[in-house]
Amino acid sequence: MAVDTQERPSASASTDAPAQQEGRVQRYRIRTGMFAWMMHRLTGVGLVVYLVIHIWGLTALTDPETFNALIAKYHSPLFKVGEFALLVAVAYHAMNGLRIVLIDFLGWSPKQKKLFWTLGAVTAVIILVGGWPSLYALGEWLFGPGSMPTFFL
Amino acid sequence: MAQTNALNWFLHRITGTFLIFMLITHFWVQHYDHQAASVTHEVVTEKGEMPDYPEEAKAGVRARYGEDAEVTPYQVVMQRLDDPVYAVLWKGFNILFLVVALHHGFYGLNNVMTDYIRDPMGRLIARALSWTLALGLLIIGMYSVITAGW
Repeated sequence: MAVDTQERPSASASTDAPAQQEGRVQRYRIRTGMFAWMMHRLTGVGLVVYLVIHIWGLTALTDPETFNALIAKYHSPLFKVGEFALLVAVAYHAMNGLRIVLIDFLGWSPKQKKLFWTLGAVTAVIILVGGWPSLYALGEWLFGPGSMPTFFL
Repeated sequence: MAQTNALNWFLHRITGTFLIFMLITHFWVQHYDHQAASVTHEVVTEKGEMPDYPEEAKAGVRARYGEDAEVTPYQVVMQRLDDPVYAVLWKGFNILFLVVALHHGFYGLNNVMTDYIRDPMGRLIARALSWTLALGLLIIGMYSVITAGW
């Protein structure tokens, strides 16, 4: 772990006493901003892993048979779940990133709590509207054709 | 974070902002446009079975390749790429997308790794390996984009 412990304090920050120390690992109080930052990291690393797989997979574009097989695989139930998870990660990372940019470039830090919840609502809408095709597909497969409302599809 | 500088910090925010707009375009074309989307809202369970496409996609493929043309994912993509103007725009967009996404992703990954790897040698190795991977992906990605539809 990267957090500083009493056994090995960081060289530069020794004067800043940590908020709380219990045992070996420093415990942070997880507030809204901290949670947002942790999720940003997690989704970010996940998206890099996805990017590697995605670019690698698209080499299939050079051959029709391989490409058709790849896209057919993308339509399997497991990939549909993955597709939805991907959208959740992308939507969160993009909207939280937008929040960071607005705070850093436009000085919106006094409004950051409000910004967090507003963009949170936007994220929820993106996930629901954008993710509906995947949820629809999974529902149709699970409960039979015609069982899901089509809405805007 | 000795290697990090203000320019990269700034670039990370610029590339991130660009990615939002590029992703919207990418998602629209690849997933929501009924004629163009190669991945549709359908679950296929049989191995080797092809997904069924909307009427718009079928009409587009048949208009370009003849009435009895097979509507496969590859053909759905190629109906767009066989239009030379569209192909140039698509290739330009995707090369830019590739460069921006790789820079943003791997710069971010390096920030994370620098936070958790404390040994300077380890950091150097992690940085070298990750950027080598990014370069490799840039090369194979460019190859896929440039040669698609040839």
